[in-house]
Amino acid sequence: MADGGAVGAGATVRARLWDGPTRLVHWTLVILLGFSWWSAETDHLQWHRWSGYWVVGLVAFRLVWGFAGSASARFAGFVKGPAATLAYLKSLPRRTHDVVPGHNPLGAWSVLAILLILVTQTVTGLFAVDIDAFAAGPLSDRVDFDTGRLFAKWHHWSFTALQVLVVLHLVAVAFYLVYKRANLIGPMITGYNRFKTDPGLVFAPLWRAAVATVVAAGFAWWVSKGFRM
Amino acid sequence: MALKSITVALALTAGLALAAGAALAHEGHQGPPPKTPGGKAAWARHDNFKAQGAAFKAILDELKKDQPDQAVLTTNANKLKGTSTALPSWFPKGSGPESGVKTDAKAEVWTDAAGFAAASNKLQVEVSKFQQLATAGDVAGMKAQSRVVGGSCKGCHDKYRVPEKK
Repeated sequence: MADGGAVGAGATVRARLWDGPTRLVHWTLVILLGFSWWSAETDHLQWHRWSGYWVVGLVAFRLVWGFAGSASARFAGFVKGPAATLAYLKSLPRRTHDVVPGHNPLGAWSVLAILLILVTQTVTGLFAVDIDAFAAGPLSDRVDFDTGRLFAKWHHWSFTALQVLVVLHLVAVAFYLVYKRANLIGPMITGYNRFKTDPGLVFAPLWRAAVATVVAAGFAWWVSKGFRM
Repeated sequence: MALKSITVALALTAGLALAAGAALAHEGHQGPPPKTPGGKAAWARHDNFKAQGAAFKAILDELKKDQPDQAVLTTNANKLKGTSTALPSWFPKGSGPESGVKTDAKAEVWTDAAGFAAASNKLQVEVSKFQQLATAGDVAGMKAQSRVVGGSCKGCHDKYRVPEKK
């Protein structure tokens, strides 16, 4: 749930809001979630596993980026306490839209919830075992058959939770678009938004994204090998 | 508060998933054991299939290793041979959905008896080959055959087992 844009009077300065890595992670996750869903439903478990490793890498990257990335991607910058969240919640019915250069306090919780459930989803998948014992996650040899089956069950439940969060996310984006006349989708594609004044966000240099990519990819690869070299 | 709570929350989720897995390691039967012959058979079948799955998984896990333990492979291949041979006897008439016991066996097991016999026979044939490869110590051959065995499990499940909720 991005927040950044008021089309209202005075919001005329076009400025950078989301960096490339954040947008790329977002849209790649959208594609991979669809692909993972489809490949599970159609029993393409080998593709499903590959898709899962990519999700592991992307989530790992986003977590690193939440600490070392650009200002609008950092958890410390957008995660607010209950008081600020409540205050923002109270302002929701107002049709005017206050520009927040980044995630608003409510959207921040949505980001965290989605990341948390993605971690749960991948962890349960790593240990899951299918009915025929043949299709299984790369860490399933650490648990017995019954436990692996339980992980598969949790993998299903966790996916339902993920679906709920995605629907909530879409409803929120639609709410901002229709009710508050704020388009959150455009900035997530282009990276730019209109502000009253340039918020002057600090963006992380490319080399840092490269380092984070190597770390995340290495981690995903290691996971896919079941933590064996 | 933000940074700390995020780290704690993330660690908690991962930890919880692992801890819950260890604590609830047994996905056992629910309720008291049934008294009818059909119910008893369905109950026993559930345990037998779990034993069969565990034996197959033990082989698959061993085959992943650089130096698979020959004894583990043969012991479990023998178990698999035993369970697959006995499998048709796990489905006596009256042990289907009508037994009153929660079972994932579809009525087609009995209404399409010939098809079910063919499917279980396919499993027996492929498991026999698998067991011979294990006895011969042919690890590469076992890896290839494990796909065929897995396929024959799946072939039967797709037709005669109630699909899992996804």
